[in-house]
Amino acid sequence: MRRYVEGAVQLLGPVALVVVVGILSTTVSSANRIYFLNALVSVAMVVAIYVFVGNSGVLSFGQISFVAVGAFAAGVMTVPLDSKKGVLTELFPLLRDHSIGNIPSLLLAAGIGGLFALVVGLPLMRLSGLAAGIATFALLEITHNILQQWTKIGPGATTLSLVPQTTGAWQATLGALVAIAGAFAYQRSRLGRQLRASREDPAAAQGIGVDVHRQRLWAFTFSGALAGFAGALSVHLLGSITTDQVYLELTFLTLAMLVFGGLTSLWGAVVGALAISGLDSFLGQAEQGVHIGFKLDLPTGSRLVFLAAIMALVLILRPSGLTGGGEFRIPGLRRAGPREEAPAPPA
Amino acid sequence: MQALQGVNLELHRKEVVGLIGPNGAGKSTLVNVLTGFDFPSEGTVELEGRDITGWSSHRRARAGLTRSFQHSRSFRDLSVRENVEVSALGVGAGPRAARKRADELLAVLGLADLAEASAGALAHGDERRLGVARVLATDPAFVLLDEPAAGLPESEVPQFAAVIRSVRDDHGGGVLLIDHNMALVMAVCDRIHVLDQGRTLAAGTPAEIRSNLDVAAAYLGETAVTGADA
Repeated sequence: MRRYVEGAVQLLGPVALVVVVGILSTTVSSANRIYFLNALVSVAMVVAIYVFVGNSGVLSFGQISFVAVGAFAAGVMTVPLDSKKGVLTELFPLLRDHSIGNIPSLLLAAGIGGLFALVVGLPLMRLSGLAAGIATFALLEITHNILQQWTKIGPGATTLSLVPQTTGAWQATLGALVAIAGAFAYQRSRLGRQLRASREDPAAAQGIGVDVHRQRLWAFTFSGALAGFAGALSVHLLGSITTDQVYLELTFLTLAMLVFGGLTSLWGAVVGALAISGLDSFLGQAEQGVHIGFKLDLPTGSRLVFLAAIMALVLILRPSGLTGGGEFRIPGLRRAGPREEAPAPPA
Repeated sequence: MQALQGVNLELHRKEVVGLIGPNGAGKSTLVNVLTGFDFPSEGTVELEGRDITGWSSHRRARAGLTRSFQHSRSFRDLSVRENVEVSALGVGAGPRAARKRADELLAVLGLADLAEASAGALAHGDERRLGVARVLATDPAFVLLDEPAAGLPESEVPQFAAVIRSVRDDHGGGVLLIDHNMALVMAVCDRIHVLDQGRTLAAGTPAEIRSNLDVAAAYLGETAVTGADA
């Protein structure tokens, strides 16, 4: 019983935060709404990355590949047929002659993201540590260049536009909640717990029968599916997309979000996504000049300089992130046992 | 360099075999070879008649051959109980069975009061016992315990001995025990295998080993002075 209460509480924090942001988005001007919806889509992306990185302890610079694949799959398949035949003339006939609706598009993106992750994960998940990080970076590079050059599957280097903007307050909020619920269910499942065990001590986990490669592959695949789904939410929010929007800067931003909130918890992923997304939007506006009692006009580029500095500061001062790497807890409602008197574990 | 030469070790169900020897004798290498963390350049590893020499460690664990580590970290962001449950889940137990087995083991190992605590906050001795609980939760046919009692206060050793005997007597498992605590080894083992410089120096019952002068020279004399030095 106690563990269900504890589980419910852990889920309560992220869910409440997302719902509040969703409600707030309906109260602001339509010019500002995009920032709130963008933050919610960021939550879905960061939670997707967290599913793999947070649970496995293996850093990946490649998860934005799955966001990209999901975004372009959803985008290409939902551009209305009459415009598609005029703009995306070089597509494979199957892609050119068919269009799908809103929900099928989100599901398709999740499916393709997951499938892609499964296929590339088969060889990649045999790596760990530094090799894994570099190899996943290679994946990002490969995906980016294929999407940018191959005009039979997408718009190539041009902007994909005329994508239906179906991601409003409802869908952004629900989408973020779906990602959170999925990630939560996974990390409490037997698969998730085996992977988290291997994160702490891979050898000990193998010694008790955990197939570390396979568990990492499952997480990578599920992470890919959620990332594809988040990509679809994103393209349906923006209405247009280029390959550069789902490449290095987004990789950096989403990892900054995860690091800022705390790599090892779902709560950290959600808090980090919302906080850094909000700050990012504010700094973006400040580069254009913004009035906050006085006129703040930052030089172009200071947005990313500032965010990168914050990421570095968090890594130096609080490596486990803003949330300390733990799940959401209500103060006073603690686990029984010696937690309180216990010495702090070594960092 | 060869860490092991011509060593032949058999472990049966329902018995506790001690593996002793000075540091560097090859005890840990032997355990690594048996459990798939090292692979032998020559020779085979068999489990109940099957050649498992090429098997991965997790596959061996699932087949009933598990081990603990000298320095194993607990899975820190899981609770103490979840640490044990995850082991049982790893070998295919259902959630309900895993929980039941975890609670039994925690009770036997004196960790029941800490079941809900975060494993990251455990004292050293508790963490070691948790490591043992985690291994036993897989309900192993054979379990290799690598210095499970190192760092354990002397007062807890009898309780620990009872746990090892219970694996043999109540669960029908075979235990290979590596430890520097000679009192523990002599008390619980049915047979003892002594390694020195990668070779078998002696093998026999605790009484035979105790009276073996070679062993005394190579090992017992040393540890009598240095004690547990892991």
